[in-house]
Formats: sequence, structure tokens, C-alpha cells
Amino acid sequence: MRLAKLYFDFLKFGAFTFGGGWSIVAQMQEVYVKREKSITEEELLDITSIGRSLPGTMIGNIAILFGHHMGGFWGGVACMMGMITVPMIILVMITAFYTAFQNNLWVASAMRGVRTAVAPVIVFALAGLFKSAFKFPPCYVVALAMFVVYFFLRVNPVWLVVIGAVLGLVICEFYERGKRDATA
Amino acid sequence: MLLLELFWSFVKIGFTSFGGLSMIPLISSEMISHGWMTAHEVSDIVAIAEMTPGPLGLNCATFAGMKAAGILGAFVANMGALSPTYTLCAVAAVFFEHFRDNKRLVQIMTGVRPACVGMVAGVVADLALVNYVEAGNVHWPSVILGVVDLVLLMKFQVSIPKVLMLSAVAGVIMFGVMGL
Repeated sequence: MRLAKLYFDFLKFGAFTFGGGWSIVAQMQEVYVKREKSITEEELLDITSIGRSLPGTMIGNIAILFGHHMGGFWGGVACMMGMITVPMIILVMITAFYTAFQNNLWVASAMRGVRTAVAPVIVFALAGLFKSAFKFPPCYVVALAMFVVYFFLRVNPVWLVVIGAVLGLVICEFYERGKRDATA
Repeated sequence: MLLLELFWSFVKIGFTSFGGLSMIPLISSEMISHGWMTAHEVSDIVAIAEMTPGPLGLNCATFAGMKAAGILGAFVANMGALSPTYTLCAVAAVFFEHFRDNKRLVQIMTGVRPACVGMVAGVVADLALVNYVEAGNVHWPSVILGVVDLVLLMKFQVSIPKVLMLSAVAGVIMFGVMGL
């Protein structure tokens, strides 16, 4: 009974998440913190920050963490599966439609128009990322170097993420050690 | 075999991506190198994923999986993209307290975030080369439409789905009716 509620709650959340994961957090706040009072604001914030910092889809991560909190292992499964149901059905239909009408003049023209907007949309989203991305000056060098390596040398992005992670550890250790020495 | 390849591709994408946008470079390189999508289709899926509910990574997984191996492919690709969720995150859920302020995780993200900014900038350059260039020449009507889109987003704060819809209409008029 409880599992079914979790599944259908997340089915609803999943159906109304447009462009980014924050809308699901807002919906969860509305339902669980304000209305049902089954979780505190702080707990939701903790779940969100952990879900964000682990790899993978933020919404999926938040769904499983919350589900586990509410109903153990199966609660997590119910929330994750609920969340992906509607988007998956919609995308399956769109993909079928897309494949069938890809070469139709009007669909092709519309898609060509949409394609011109994709780079601007990514630039716009990238601008939002800038604030949190550059904690220390060397981070600018990391970004520039990764652009060059990705675009000109065509190294697999998987390796670039791993290199970024290692550089993050090195940069933080350097700066945090400097700070400790200064206070000592 | 194809299903296994799809799954493994999206496991790689899942484990090395941290939220929405950062998945695009990985998806683009995996899809194109396997021949599951063309560069144009990568642009299309980013647009479609922005206009439909659900996270970008999972929508891409459904699109690519479906194109490569039908509905079963879509499901397998989704499960691949979710693999960090039901492994890492499940562990994190059990040891919740230990993950609250993980210092190492913060340090790692300090390097991963700028790396993602660099790679995503690379993807923008890639997409610009496919979407604004035709047979080796700059296609000016597309460039102008792109600039208008950017101004609408940045200056007038028009929402992303609206900008994409407007571009679709503009595309029908400019490329369909006027034949630019």
C-alpha cells in the first residue's frame, strides 16, 4: 500500500519535471514537508545535496535516497521506477514519431529551426554553471585545458572526468594546506 | 550483444556525469562512435529532451536505446544510465550520515565541475559546426536564428521550451516555406 503510494507520487513528479531536477525538489517539498510533514526541510536538503554530488541523474538519485528513507530498499526501487515511467513512455512515442517523419519536409524544417536553438540553450545553461565551477584560480586552467583536449585531441570524456576528479583533489589539498599553514 | 553494448555505454555515461548538461559530451561521443546517432540527431535529442519531462540523461537513453534496439533497448539504456543510482546511491542511503559532508567528494567536484564546463564548451563548438554550417559554408539564416534564440534566453529570460517552440515555427517558415 505504502509502496504503491510512493510509486504513484513519483510517477506524478516524473511527469512534471521540465528542464532540470529542481522542479522535483520543489514538488517534494510541497507534498512531504508542507502537506504530509513526513520529512523535515533539513532532511530533504541533505537528500538533495547528496543526490546532486553523486554521479548519475540527480532526480534518480534523489528518488532512491528519499524512497529508502521512507520505505527501505523497496521504497527506493518504487520511487526510482515511478519517476522514470512517464518520461520513458513519452520518449518512446516521440522517438517512434521522429523516426517515421524525420524526412517529411515540414518536420525536417521544424527540426532544423530547433537545432539552431540547441547551442544557445546549452550556452545559457553553461552560464548558470559558471558561478559554482570556479572555486580556485587553477579551475579556469582546468576548464580551458579540458576544452582543448576534448575538442582538438578527441580524448574520451570518461577520462577527462577522471582527470578532473584527480586535479580537484590536488588543487584542494594545495589550497587547504596553504590555509592551514597560514593559520598555524 | 547489442543490448549489452548499449547498457555498458550508458553505465559509462551514468558514472561520469554529474547532472543534466554534463552528460552531453559523453552521450555525444558514445552515440556517434557507435553509429547509434548522427551529429544532427544528437542536437535533436538535446532539444527533444528539453521540451519533454524527465532528466536529459534518461531521455537520451530512451531515444538512443529505442533507435538502436527498440523498446527493450530503451529500457536497457535507462537501466544503464541509472546504474550509479541503484549502486552508489543505494549504498549512500544506507550510510546516510557518512555522506552528509564528505570532504573528498567536495574536493573531487572542485575539479570535475570546471572540467565539465570545458567539455560542454567543446560540445557547443561541435554543435555549432554541424548546425550553422552547410556543405562547408556558413549558413547565415541559421546563424541569425541562433543569435535571436540566444538573445531571447539571456536578455529576455524566455523559457527554454518556449524558445525551442519558437525556433520550430521559425524553421517551418524560413526553411520550409521560404526555402532558405
